[in-house]
Amino acid sequence: MTTDPRMLMHHSDVAVSVELETPDMTLNLGPQHPSTHGVLRLVARVDGERIEEVEPVVGYMHRGYEKLAEVRTYPQITALVNRIDWVSGFANEVAFIVAAERLMGIEAPERAQFIRLILTEMFRISNHLVFMSSYPLELGAATPLMYALRERERVLDLIEGVTGGRFHPNFNRIGGVKPAAGGGSNQKNVVQDLPAGFLSETRDAMEKVLQVCDDMVDLVLGNEIFVVRTKGVGVIPPDRALAHGVSGPNLRASGVDFDLRKVDDYLPYDRFEFDVPLGENGDCFDRYLVRLEEVRQATGIVLQAIDSIPSGSLRAKVPRVIKVPKGECYVRAENPKGEMGYHIVSEGGRGPYRLKIRSASFSNLSVLPWLLEGVLVPDIIAILGSLDFVLGDVDR
Amino acid sequence: MTESRSDGAAAERDRKAAATAERIAALVGSDTWTAQFGTAKVVVAAGNWVEAHRRVAAELPFFSWLAAVDWARDVAVGEPPEDPETPERYEVMSRLADVTEGEAVILSTSLPKDAPVLATLSQVYGGAEWHEREAAEMFGISFDGHPNLVKLYLPDSFEGHPLRKSFPLLSREVKPWPGSVDVEDMPSTENPEA
Amino acid sequence: MSGLFDNFWVMLVVKLGAVVTVVMVLALVIIYAELKISAHMQSRIGPYYAGGRWGWAQPLADAFKFLQKEDLTPADADRPVFKAAPMVMLAGSFAVLVILPFSPNLIAQDLDLGIFYVLAASSVGTLGVLMAGWASANKYSLMGGLRAAAQLIAYELPLVLAVVGVVIQAGTLSMVGIVEAQAQPVFHIGSVGIQLPYLFQGQVIGFLIFMVAALAELSRTPFDLPIAESELVMGYLTEYSGIRFTMFFLGEYVGIFAMSSIAATLFLGGYHVPGLDADVFGPVVLVAKAMLLVFLIIWFRWTFPRVREDQLQGFAWRWLVPLSLANIAVTAVLKVAL
Repeated sequence: MTTDPRMLMHHSDVAVSVELETPDMTLNLGPQHPSTHGVLRLVARVDGERIEEVEPVVGYMHRGYEKLAEVRTYPQITALVNRIDWVSGFANEVAFIVAAERLMGIEAPERAQFIRLILTEMFRISNHLVFMSSYPLELGAATPLMYALRERERVLDLIEGVTGGRFHPNFNRIGGVKPAAGGGSNQKNVVQDLPAGFLSETRDAMEKVLQVCDDMVDLVLGNEIFVVRTKGVGVIPPDRALAHGVSGPNLRASGVDFDLRKVDDYLPYDRFEFDVPLGENGDCFDRYLVRLEEVRQATGIVLQAIDSIPSGSLRAKVPRVIKVPKGECYVRAENPKGEMGYHIVSEGGRGPYRLKIRSASFSNLSVLPWLLEGVLVPDIIAILGSLDFVLGDVDR
Repeated sequence: MTESRSDGAAAERDRKAAATAERIAALVGSDTWTAQFGTAKVVVAAGNWVEAHRRVAAELPFFSWLAAVDWARDVAVGEPPEDPETPERYEVMSRLADVTEGEAVILSTSLPKDAPVLATLSQVYGGAEWHEREAAEMFGISFDGHPNLVKLYLPDSFEGHPLRKSFPLLSREVKPWPGSVDVEDMPSTENPEA
Repeated sequence: MSGLFDNFWVMLVVKLGAVVTVVMVLALVIIYAELKISAHMQSRIGPYYAGGRWGWAQPLADAFKFLQKEDLTPADADRPVFKAAPMVMLAGSFAVLVILPFSPNLIAQDLDLGIFYVLAASSVGTLGVLMAGWASANKYSLMGGLRAAAQLIAYELPLVLAVVGVVIQAGTLSMVGIVEAQAQPVFHIGSVGIQLPYLFQGQVIGFLIFMVAALAELSRTPFDLPIAESELVMGYLTEYSGIRFTMFFLGEYVGIFAMSSIAATLFLGGYHVPGLDADVFGPVVLVAKAMLLVFLIIWFRWTFPRVREDQLQGFAWRWLVPLSLANIAVTAVLKVAL
């Protein structure tokens, strides 16, 4: 042992053990946070940068839809439900309306069904464009956001031209779509059909959307840093996905070939040809890829649909006061985020006795505690973004 | 044209649902099933709940949702059931599907109002965990063996079970059901008071 | 009058004033450039209203806005450390500018230890970041500060080692000396001497390593994990507002300019262009070369997502350090052999 005072500071009689005790830190992400897609709170116990355990706390946006539905009539509920998943507004209404129509034994005319299909696919494009742009933003790349949203504006303008609303169209009616231009005694008989120039503008817009998909492939999927951040991250094995009810692009990215558009007949999808993109590994990269391909397929469906739109009325004859006879019916639809369904328990009143809303993001999010165990903190953002949920959908 | 297509499609849906319901009912050992409006529903006894799901799990691996319905004769909100002699109970429904042909079934069971206890499904289907938490806080049903039965949506200090028919909606206390609001005329130049 | 200019203290004040003024102006120009370049890359327009159609007064307006904001300090913050952190970081950035050679005679102080001093002074900024992260009394800031410290320490090594290759070739540590060494003709075609900057004299790998390490030192995307806007809100900067935030902000852009000019001096030939008089055109040439590299840095920010912490560290230790050591070995061998 030296007696040099400068060296003495660096020697000690205490041995330091190799295993350092580092206490865990409880990190609270949210509810106000740039990347949690709404008011989601994640209480995470972290050890350095690694997550030991995470508990999502939801319910900050619970609006009580199911209780509300018990005191509203069916047309009033139609105006409410497009706010559940606000990014794919129209798609939320479709399953509900079809369920009510089945209970009443009415079927919407073909033209109305085609318009519903076109609008649903446009909202799918809009939803996936938001995903494709905001996901790289969360990982740090700011430019794809601008490109994708620029094209999304075209699609939203088209939707606004048809329905009058960009996000909450409120365009479905029991028996078809909204036929009249508005209220007032001199307007009630004016049928407001698709606006002039709709077909050519749609073709134009779909071309631009395909172009931006190609841009995304170059800018995002070809970027080595993006690939390294997302490949192998957040893998959801298919059996766990099925047990938790994960649906939509998340399920298909794990390799399960299941698309409700091919299986159910709530809209005339069987008239059109389209592929269902599948992923291989179920990681974040595959989820991005599947959604990008779905945009391409959706543009194909829209182009086929506008080429073959039949003429006819926009709404079937329905009684003035809508009363749905007694029965129970569950209809599920392929929402952009997954399977969205409505189970209507009707006791013959003007409103449902019980409306159970099955929202896609609720089930998609329920796999999160399992998924986030043992990952690094920056990976939380990558995984959360790739699941593409919206808190309105989770909390209803 | 429209009529026959709708009849044909609806009949086809009902036929498929009936086939599914019959098969699943035989699988779980139940003799009550319905298949209306394209929805297959099999009634299961409460004691047989978990076992029925275990038997179905291999064929129908996709857990869609679990929910409850409060069947009550006196309701504080909305309208009461059509049949005034409806048996009062909590009906718990779970929907399971397969991912190859899209077959699906709703398994349903009834719980008495004074003792709404049911075994948990989270060992059979992991996704049932969150759905059961929601049903528990909304209806007051308790699930035996659930790993984490805390409130999901409601704040911790919330008292009461909102989706029960006996739970009033505050806005309806202040202003009763307005009636046929949705068939009023919109105001126009001739009739601004409409 | 001439006696006044010989007075050390007067010259010191003049030099400091000149450096600060020039660099602040340049920092504002770079901020404006970033706003406009990023806007056009994203099919936007960028600043449009402040200062006429081109929006050139936007950074000035932002600076004035920040200056008049309320000065917030978190209740639990460690006050002296919290207040000192931005000054430490700014000091680190400014200290580098002292030896930037704008021309053979226009340099604040031509130290013999030029580049060595630069590398030492720029690491003072790391301290400032760590102080900011710790003193903010905020878990997010702490995580940001720790990430920043790890990143900055990891990328110091490749930065230094990349420079060693240039020093071996130049044979001197002085900045002016390095530029003059690049001004020596490498070979002759007939009677015309061809002068090449070190980038073309075989220091390509050194240049690439230096640029990557400089990006990491500046905490710019793809290495901006410490600030990671979408994860930690603003990382170690979260709790800063008003003047203190401005100091950090300016420090970052001053650092960008400083690193770019150092790279320009070491690898691109500095103020020297063959055929132009260095005393007259030197500053313009150096600033032009530095701005080219600044454009590159801005371009990278808006193209790449950010790298994850473990990938960042792996990249530095497993790739950049061995590569730069190999670069030094090859340079040394070639210097002796040729």
